[in-house]
Order: sequence, then structure tokens, then C-alpha cells
Amino acid sequence: MGLFLQLLANGIVLGTFYALSALGLTLVFGLMRVVNFAHGELYVVGGLIGWALTAVLGLNFFLALAIVVIVLGIAGYLIDRLLIAWVRGEGEEPTILLTIGLSIFIANTALLIVGTTPQTVLSPFLSKPLFLGPVVITQSRLVLVGLCVALIVGTYFLVQKTTLGRAMRATFQDPMAAQLAGIRTAHIYGFTFALGAALAGAAGMLLGSIYVVQVTIGGVISLKAFVIVILGGMGSFAGAIVGGLILGVVEALWGGYVATGYVDAIGFALVIVMLLVRPYGLFGKRVERA
Amino acid sequence: MRLERNVLLIALTVALLAPLAVHNDYVVHIGVNVLFSVILATSFNLIVGYVGEFPLGHTAFFGIGAYTAALLSVCFALPFQVTVITAAFVAALFGLAIGAVTLRLRGPFFVIVTLCFAEVLRLIANNWIDLTNGPMGVSGIAMPAWATSGSILQQKVAFYYAGLLLAALSIFISYRFVYSNVGRAAIAVRENRFVAQSLGIWPFYLGLVTFVLAAAIAGAAGGFYAHYFTYVGPEVFDFSFMITMIIMVLVGGKGTLVGPVVGAFIVVMLDVYLRDFKELRFSIFGLLVIAVVIFLPRGLMGFISRRHETYHREKPGDA
Amino acid sequence: MQLLKSLPVGLLGLSLAATYASAQETIKIGVIQPLTGSVAYNGTTDVNGSKLAADEINAKGGVLGKKIELIVEDGQCKPADTVNAAEKLIQRDKVVALAGAFCSSATLAAMPVAQNYKIPLVTGVSSAASLTEKGNQWFFRATETDALLAKAFAKILFNELKLRKVAYIGVNDDFGRGGVAEFEKQMQALGATTVMKEYFEHGTSDFYTLLTKLKASGADGAFVAAETQDGSIFVKQKAELGIQTKVFGVGSWATSDFIKLTGASSEGIYAAVPYASTMTSPRNTVFVDAYTQRYKEAPGKYSAAGYNVINILAQAIDRANSTDPEKLREALTKTSYDGPNGHFQFDSTGQAYGFTLVLVQLTSGVPKVVASTTVER
Repeated sequence: MGLFLQLLANGIVLGTFYALSALGLTLVFGLMRVVNFAHGELYVVGGLIGWALTAVLGLNFFLALAIVVIVLGIAGYLIDRLLIAWVRGEGEEPTILLTIGLSIFIANTALLIVGTTPQTVLSPFLSKPLFLGPVVITQSRLVLVGLCVALIVGTYFLVQKTTLGRAMRATFQDPMAAQLAGIRTAHIYGFTFALGAALAGAAGMLLGSIYVVQVTIGGVISLKAFVIVILGGMGSFAGAIVGGLILGVVEALWGGYVATGYVDAIGFALVIVMLLVRPYGLFGKRVERA
Repeated sequence: MRLERNVLLIALTVALLAPLAVHNDYVVHIGVNVLFSVILATSFNLIVGYVGEFPLGHTAFFGIGAYTAALLSVCFALPFQVTVITAAFVAALFGLAIGAVTLRLRGPFFVIVTLCFAEVLRLIANNWIDLTNGPMGVSGIAMPAWATSGSILQQKVAFYYAGLLLAALSIFISYRFVYSNVGRAAIAVRENRFVAQSLGIWPFYLGLVTFVLAAAIAGAAGGFYAHYFTYVGPEVFDFSFMITMIIMVLVGGKGTLVGPVVGAFIVVMLDVYLRDFKELRFSIFGLLVIAVVIFLPRGLMGFISRRHETYHREKPGDA
Repeated sequence: MQLLKSLPVGLLGLSLAATYASAQETIKIGVIQPLTGSVAYNGTTDVNGSKLAADEINAKGGVLGKKIELIVEDGQCKPADTVNAAEKLIQRDKVVALAGAFCSSATLAAMPVAQNYKIPLVTGVSSAASLTEKGNQWFFRATETDALLAKAFAKILFNELKLRKVAYIGVNDDFGRGGVAEFEKQMQALGATTVMKEYFEHGTSDFYTLLTKLKASGADGAFVAAETQDGSIFVKQKAELGIQTKVFGVGSWATSDFIKLTGASSEGIYAAVPYASTMTSPRNTVFVDAYTQRYKEAPGKYSAAGYNVINILAQAIDRANSTDPEKLREALTKTSYDGPNGHFQFDSTGQAYGFTLVLVQLTSGVPKVVASTTVER
């Protein structure tokens, strides 16, 4: 029983982290129909900036987090206005290719600038084990779970309750009508991508404080995010969260009771099953444009 | 159609005669790489250009072909001809299975699910030690009998001609496919799925046929790779081969037959040339992809054939 | 900032090389290492060691009156890229020997190329036992194999660390699987039982599941085959979970970066390495000083490997008194080289022996040598 509880706890923590990592991706897809293959690289850049600010410059963790969010937001906005805007009307394939090219460029340029040494983000939270009954966890993990939840809730309010969020949703539903209603859709697209990038960067920095910050993990992060987004349904907020939690728990339980070697394959197997059974994910809405 | 056919024939002649003029091992090695890339690009182009979908997991078929040829050669000592043909066949079978499942989906879903399949295969190759020797890979794949005699240059030239044969075959098959009824129907589906359906074309079936054909060609490329590099490991399922395929077809022009050839040539040459820039070369690749997507969305051949069309159209009107 | 430095230097170098090459001849040695990709970090330290060796040799006048020039190519630990790199180095750059290619799978792919062109290939890192069992006369391995390491240390683990119930954890590549397989074989022969055997994918960031299993398995010791990136996270998270099991690692566990990344959680960890910067030979002290001065960090296993390989090659060229490949190969078989980690000689299969392997324990951030042994033939 103790083993099960520990594995479950591991899974839930992991799942929350996954959910935050995937949130940016699903929002960008849901609101813009853009599949951002550079998502993992934006995550990595967030982690790198976080490392640079906390470990090299010695700034406060939360201040650094705020800076990361702002910097990546601006970067996301620029990427959208300067690059994606060119290919916006032409369907999904050009944006996929564009973001793939972007991901290659970011990953390798970051490698050139920062080098290959793995780094960590310095956080003020302790890593000593806390024993809650049969379950062991650390203070930093608990705080991070809290921060992730806060960010997720914050984004929810941004998208659902603010004027900006309403403008985003309107633009997605019908860009022409939104423009007629006076919404500057070009800016909105930029903001949406900025939001996705900021979330990715925040996840990168937060998780970089308990894991390791390294340039080469971008592809792995993207892949995991895709798995979660498909499981939960592209564009669905709840889907990213539920998808992330499910993936985290299943991976933990499978890894704990069966074998850790094939753990990554579970996500992909789930995706394949999901696409056969419910192609649009658990919470996805079927939207088709002829 | 005529332009394409003429360009291809010219390219073939040049390729046939090239080794006679060149006596440098390294250049022939590059030539082999180019031919191998042509085969891969042609197979990828079939799906991207003529089905209109983007299979980001296309390396799966290349990898399956490579492993099939490797295992047949190492475990059963079968010769090159047999392993490559079997590799193509096995890859085609996988193409049938995977296509049947994935072609029901479109757009980003198709993209990601094919990627997932490729990843699953990579994980299996990495973990199923008994079959694939896991991360240790299959090494010591025998060179074909006709490539073990003579000087190194002669061996390489032998591989070059084998590669040329395979490449010519793949392009020929693609050519016949595209200009057949099946091919034309596939293009109709690509242009407008719903109108095609209204004409009685069954998109799923067409997609599947194209998919299987493309998988077979990729599998053959895998078999060739196995015998030339003599080592096959789980890295054949890596995304890097995928990126190369994407860039080749993108730069050359999708939906044309010459595009993959041109793209393959350019990309291999770039890779060789950029090697001098060492770590910078991937950054440059990334920028190249972005630039091509924005400024040359139909690739070089698309750009050229468009100019060709407008040029010809203008001529009668000129005073 | 490598980006800013490399571009003008690269362009300058290209133009200079063209003129300089015709003006003064150098002895070119090709180095194939992963400079990008997931093991780029370790590959770069290897190249650093090689460059230090080359510069030292050149400062003393070079070999046969000419300077040594290292031509470094990125093999990315991928067989196809490594073969391409080897082809370019041999054909275009006309190197006299190859050093590389780090991962055993990449080296495996390069070996037939070396044999075909009859160019010697020396590796300082690839540890898969099968490499020297292929009968390739042009291949030399200047480091231990997983099997030798296991044989050397299993006794110490069993008798002194008193490990009876062992858990085996390895990264899922040829290095991890090879290491686990060899150690398990040796430990079982001595009488230890295997309570757990698990692999993880390279790049795993969360080891909690694996560690939970470890705790539940009741092992009194864990053997871990992993590199810096994964190993450091593993060790940190082990401390986070409060697991007290003894850990014994192979890979680059005694390097300064590993210690920096793990911090306090590295306390008490054992590692078996063919090199540690705290080894007490006078040769090592000189090497450590030179390396630290140039690269601002202590050398690790891979730095020493790169350093040794270039020195071995240079000495062989000297001994052969020519750069003719056949003579060079002959001379390599007669190698008798004193490196920072002991004396190197090659047996008939190209496997090195006679150098030192150490068991270190990380105490207060310093790899303290606990036991050492020499590799026997």
C-alpha cells in the first residue's frame, strides 16, 4: 500500500508538471490552430534564462520567474508577428514546417551560446525529504505543484474572464466577425502566441529548479506535450490538465509495477489508442472546416 | 510533364557518367549519399506532395527497412538483392498497417500520430534486445559481393551505381504512379477532398495506396543504408533523418518529381559544405527552413515551373 | 561566447589554412567526437583534453620536426554521421590517424572505414567489449571495457562494501546495458543476488518512480551506470526521497561538474572510474594543473581519455619515425605510454592494459580514492 501511495503521489506531482508544460501548446492550438513544434525549445529557453538570472546573476526566484514570463511573452509575440503572420492563411502545414525550422534554430543557437553543460535553476525551496506517512516528498516539489496550479488557474481566468481572453476566443471562432467587431486580430494572434510561449518558458524555469536545464531536451518536452494535448483534446484547457495527470499517474504506476524501460512508450501507445477511439481527445470539440 | 521528364533524363545521364570523370573516393561517397537521399526524398514526397498529408513519422519505414536488411544479412547471410527487396516489402506491410490506422485522421492529428508510431518503433528497437540487440545495434552487415573486390574507389563506385539503380527505379515508379489514373485521383484528393469524393474517388483507399508505395521505397532506402554503413541501431528512427527529408522536399518542391532530386542534391551538398562551420550548421539549417517556408513555399522546382508557365503564357501576347 | 569567437576565427582559419598548409606541413590527426546532441557535454571535454595534449606536444617541438594539427569533426555519436566524418577526414584532410568516436555504436561504424582505408583508429572512451573482439587490426582501445571494470571491482564491492542484495540501474544505451550486464555477471559469480534490474531512457528527468522501486526492493547497494546529466539528477532525487542505499556508479561520476550539480547529495557515493583528478601520480598532478589552468575546471574521465589518445598517437608516430599507416600501426602495438592514470600497453587485440582503475568515494565534494587496481591483460 505504501508503495502504491508513493507511486500515486509521484504520478500526481509529475502529472501537474506535465499539465503546465502542455498548457501553452494546447492554448496556441486551440485558439490559433497552430501546432507549435518549437514549444520544447521555448521551454528550454525559459529554463536557461531562469538559470542565468538566478545562478549567474543571483536574482530572487520569483523576480526571475516574472522576467522569464515577460521575456518569453515578448519573444512569442515577435515570433508570431514576424514569422507566423506570413503563412497564416495557408493551412497548418506551413506553420508546422516553420516551427520545426524555428526549433532547430533555437536549439542549436542556444547550444552555441550556453554550451553543453547541464545547469540548474536556483530556488529558495528546500530539497530535503518530507515524510507524510508512507509518502516522501520535498518542500520544493510541493511548492512547485502549488505554483503550477496557480499559473494554470491564472491562465484560466485570463482566457475566460478578461476582455483580452474574450477577444482571443472571438478571434478563434470567426476571425472575420472579430475584425468587424473591432478586434485587432493581428495583435490578438500575437498575444495568444505570447501566452503560449510564456507558459512554456515558465514551465521550463520552474521545472529547471528541480530537474536539470539542458539545451538538448527540447525535443523530448515537445513530444510529451503533444502526447498530453492529444490525450486531452487539442485546444481544451481541461484536457491538458486531465491529460497531464493521467499520463503522469499511468507512467508512474506502470514504471513502478512493471518496468521503467518502456515508460515513454506508454504515452505513445495511449495516443494511438486515443486516436483510434476518440480522435479528438477526451475533451476535444470536433471542428471541421471544409 | 515534358519539362519534368526531360530534366530527369538529363539528371540520369549526368549521374551515369559522373563517376567516369571523378576519381576521388570522397566525392563518390558524397554521390552515394546524394542518391540515398534522393530515394528517401522521393518516398516522402509521394505522401506530402500527392496525398497532401505530412507524415512526421516517415522514418519509421526507413528504419524498418534498415533493420530488416540488417537482420537478414547478419542472421541469415542473405545477399544484398534479397535483403533490399525484402526490406521494401516488409516496410510496405508496415505501411499498410500504420496507414490503415492513421489515414483516418487529418492535419495535425495525422502528423502527430505518425510521429508517435515512429517513436514507439524506436523504443521497441531500443528495448527489445533479443530481436534488435537494443542500443548495441546490428553491426557487421556484410557488404554485397560485387562491392568487396577491387580498390576502395571501385567499391564505392559499385555502391554508387547500385544506389543510382534504386534511385532511378523509385523515381520511375513515382513517375508512373503520378501520371496514372490512381495518381491523378490522388492529386484530386489533395486539391479538394470533398469534390473528389463527389466524383466517386475514395480518399482513404488512395491515401493508403500512396502510403504503402512510399513506405516500400523508404524501406528500400533503409536496406541500402544498412549495407553501405554496415551498422544499424535505434538511431535510424531518429528525428534527424526526418528533418533531412522535410528540408529536401521543402527546398526542392513538393508535388513535383524533380523536386526531391534537386532538394536531395542541395541538402547533401549543404551538409558537406557546412561541415566546416561545425556547430553553426544546424542553426543555418533552421534559418534555411524558415526562409524557404516564407519565401519559397513551393520549393525551387515549384518556383521554376511557375515562372516557366508564366513565361510561356506571355510569349504569344508579346508584340 | 563561442558563437562570437568561432565565426571570425573560423573564417580566418579557413583562409589561413589554405595558405598555411602549403607553406608549412603539419601532421594531421582526425578527431571525431560528439559536439552536438545529448552527449555533447562529455564529447567537448574529451576534445579539450586532446587539444591540451596537442598543444603540449607542439610546444616541445612537435613530432618528427612537424607540428601536430587536430582536425575535429562532429560525429554526434551517430553511426552515419561518424562514418561521414571519417570519410571526410581520411579523404579530404588526409589525416594519418583517427581518434574517436566516443559512443561504442559510433566507433563500431567507424571501424570498418578505418580498416578499409588502413588508417589506425584509437578510442579512449568506447567501452563495449565487442569492439576488440572483431579482429580489426587497425583499432586500438586506450581505456577499460565494461568487463574489465566489472572484474576489477566486483571483488571490492562484495568483500569491502559487503553488497549482497544488489539493484542494477542503467541508462538504456550500449554503455548502460553493457555495464549492468558485466557487473551483474561478476557479482552473481561471487554470490550476490539481483533484487532489481531496471533501465531508463537517456534524458529522463524524473527518477522518482525508479527510486521508489529501489527503496521497495530492499537492496543494500545500487549499481548505477549513467552519465553526468542523468546520474546527477538520480543522485539528487535519491537524497530528496531520503533513500540511504549505498550507490556505486560508473560513468563520469567523479568529475567536478557532477559534483557541482549534485552538491551535498553526492556525499558518500562511490564511483569506479579509470581516472579521477585526485589520483596521486606525479604525472597526474602536472596534467591536472595544466588542464585546470586552461579550462578553469578539474579534468575528468573524458578529458584524460582525449589527452591520452593524442599522446599515444604522437609517441607512436615518433617510434615509427614516419607517418606511413602500416608503420604507425606497428608502432602502436608497441606502445608503452605513461599517462596521468597509469601505464598503457596494448595486447594483441588492441586492448590496453596496465593502467589504473580507481574506486573513489565522494566526500565533501572531493573524489577520495578508496581503492585502486591495475588492469590486467
